Amino acid sequence: MKRLPLEGVRVLDLTMMWAGPYATRLLAEMGAEILKIESPSAWDNIRTVIPLDGITEPWNASWYFNDYNRDKKSVTLDLAQARGRELFLGLVAQSDVVIENYRSAVMDNLGIGYETLRAAREDIIMVSMAGFGKFGAERDHVGFGPIIEQMSGLASLTGYGDDGVPYKTGVSYGDPVAGKAAAAAVAMGLIKRQKTGRGVHVDLGQRETMSTLIGEAFVAASLRGEQVAQHGNRDSRFAPQGVYRCIGIEQWLAISVRTDDEWRALASVIDADSIARLSLHERLERHDELDALVAAWAAGQDPQDAMETLQWAGVAAGRVLDSESIHDDPHLAARGYWVELPHPRMHAWKQPTTTWRFFEANPQLSRHAPLFGEHTREVLSSLLGVSASELDALQAQAVIGDAPLNPGIG
Amino acid sequence: MDESLLDGVRVLEIGGGFAAAFAARWLSGFGADVVRADPPLESLTADEQVYLLAGKRRVRVEQTRLRALALAADIVVEDQRPGELAGWGMSPLALRAEKRTLVVVSVTPFGQSGPYATYEANNIIAFAMGGLMSLTGHPAREPLMTGGSQAYCLGAINAFGAAVTALYGGIVQGEGDWIDISLQEAAAGMLELYGPGGAYNGLGPHLRSGNHVRAAWAIYPCADGFAGVCALERQIPALFAAIGDPELQDPRFRDPLQRPLHDDELQAKLYAWFGDHTKDEILAMSPKFKVPFGAVLTPGDLLENPSLAERGYFDEVLLPDGQVAIVPGRPFLGFPWTPPSVLHEAGADNTRVGADWLGVQS
Repeated sequence: MKRLPLEGVRVLDLTMMWAGPYATRLLAEMGAEILKIESPSAWDNIRTVIPLDGITEPWNASWYFNDYNRDKKSVTLDLAQARGRELFLGLVAQSDVVIENYRSAVMDNLGIGYETLRAAREDIIMVSMAGFGKFGAERDHVGFGPIIEQMSGLASLTGYGDDGVPYKTGVSYGDPVAGKAAAAAVAMGLIKRQKTGRGVHVDLGQRETMSTLIGEAFVAASLRGEQVAQHGNRDSRFAPQGVYRCIGIEQWLAISVRTDDEWRALASVIDADSIARLSLHERLERHDELDALVAAWAAGQDPQDAMETLQWAGVAAGRVLDSESIHDDPHLAARGYWVELPHPRMHAWKQPTTTWRFFEANPQLSRHAPLFGEHTREVLSSLLGVSASELDALQAQAVIGDAPLNPGIG
Repeated sequence: MDESLLDGVRVLEIGGGFAAAFAARWLSGFGADVVRADPPLESLTADEQVYLLAGKRRVRVEQTRLRALALAADIVVEDQRPGELAGWGMSPLALRAEKRTLVVVSVTPFGQSGPYATYEANNIIAFAMGGLMSLTGHPAREPLMTGGSQAYCLGAINAFGAAVTALYGGIVQGEGDWIDISLQEAAAGMLELYGPGGAYNGLGPHLRSGNHVRAAWAIYPCADGFAGVCALERQIPALFAAIGDPELQDPRFRDPLQRPLHDDELQAKLYAWFGDHTKDEILAMSPKFKVPFGAVLTPGDLLENPSLAERGYFDEVLLPDGQVAIVPGRPFLGFPWTPPSVLHEAGADNTRVGADWLGVQS
């Protein structure tokens, strides 16, 4: 049986919310052991952002927290207390990677900056993922994903084009983008250590990662001084292109006509043969008119049937799947994308499997997100030899804990 | 000066699409020798070519030579239709059978298997099918595609991460792998709370909320453009302190259970406050009050940004006509980065690559 690529790698995960936990979820999927470190008094607020009604210990029963933290172990340690910090550095000595997404100054303020980690373990791989980087004039700016998206230039390119209003993506887009890149940075750190015997401190400014996603807009700005323009759902290479309302509540179909052949096929399906020979230039000129024709056809169609009809005719078309219909998509079902895992406090639901489908190593989800502090005693005793009596004392001092000290809405 | 991390790593990019080209761009920047097999018909725009292809060597070769190059590579990144490479006598499985350390990353709209595997698709189709589009745009208008080519970009960063992870696995274990990246799945696994919420609750879909998820999580017009705020509960007191309106201390705004009932009123206050302030004024309050404020900046703004300049973020690309383009550089700091300084012409490096990779003198 082939092994997963990161088997044997231990990661100390200080990250919270989405970006960092998303990175370490990926590392877990690839076989790494993730020790998620939280303090009893400063814990991952995502546990209680969406509390379930009428449930005890809401921090242990969150499908949202679970989504980013499955396949990890939970260890509590108060890093603001001397003993907590000491134990943390003991774990560093036995780990390969430390990853954090605090504001730029926080690790140093806690007394666990890179040089301190290196003193504990010379070849440690540290990944920091502050919004605007560890140094530079904007290092102290605070940012969540939507802020990163605005500050990266991307939001300026998104919009309907007729009202001048920029738009945010419907999720905190900067987070998963930074998370994916941070997971890659960990792999690169491991390659470096394998090649040179040395560690690395990666400074991932989330805004910078995000701006790489619109490089062509920087080419336009720097070469020709082009001002940004929003194009809605259109593209000068493809016409008609857009989304068209179908039968049902907020059911839409995206269509993109990329060639003259595709246009002839679409024109035939929508009964518009008289204009089936229009060139791309003509289709762009008459885009509004063509949109109206496609929309009139789509309005009488079931979205799934319409997609299949157009695909059968060779036209690029896809449903605008929503947060409900995507869980019923027959293609994702056929690929085994949604997986139901048992959870001790919640009923099962469809969770996405890994995006990195290694055919041979075949990564699989294995376990729900850990309960708060579930693995503290196991990890501290097995890795650091902390005795049962000291664990009790640590709990009394709130260095470790099995419940948040200050539960509330995150 | 350290040698580049991927020095000596050979990457063959087959396809010509945005996703494969972007994934290979990062591999190139971190030191890999990237050879792009140019497609018969270029599909990238001129600006995309500048950004995505600079720094790579470029060949145009027939299938036998392409197969030989694939076997001379350490990593193949490809975005052909599923089955296409097999039709050329070089399926990833066959290549892997001949070279066990080879890593092949396939990045396609719907992955290698399943009923839609060979469906026609481009960026907007994949963006729609991945769920992000249903959440983006104004609630009273049609769903909106995010700018640029985000479905392709998500495929690219996943392909890059999977490639370097597999490369590491290969170094340690002596075995590569074949990795199937689906653009649809890349997006479907990042639907924030709406994905798992939709699956868990079964209460119907969450639909787009435009620029106003709630009053304190929104984009507003400001005095000289657009700016935004994203405050979690713990940041609400600091946000209200920054705004300075004493009425905000009223329980209907301060109490997290009452606030949602008065969201419109709070939104009106924020509209007024943002309208009175410039982007610079608002951004200056972010570190001062530790409140996540932002401003909608353009690429042109960012080219002038002092923080990015101080961090040495941008690369210069020399074009064949002598012009210089400024483009985003490394995605993160920590490893030597080779700016992709020169854009080669299509097929320009057939001879050199044949000599370097295959020892062929022709």
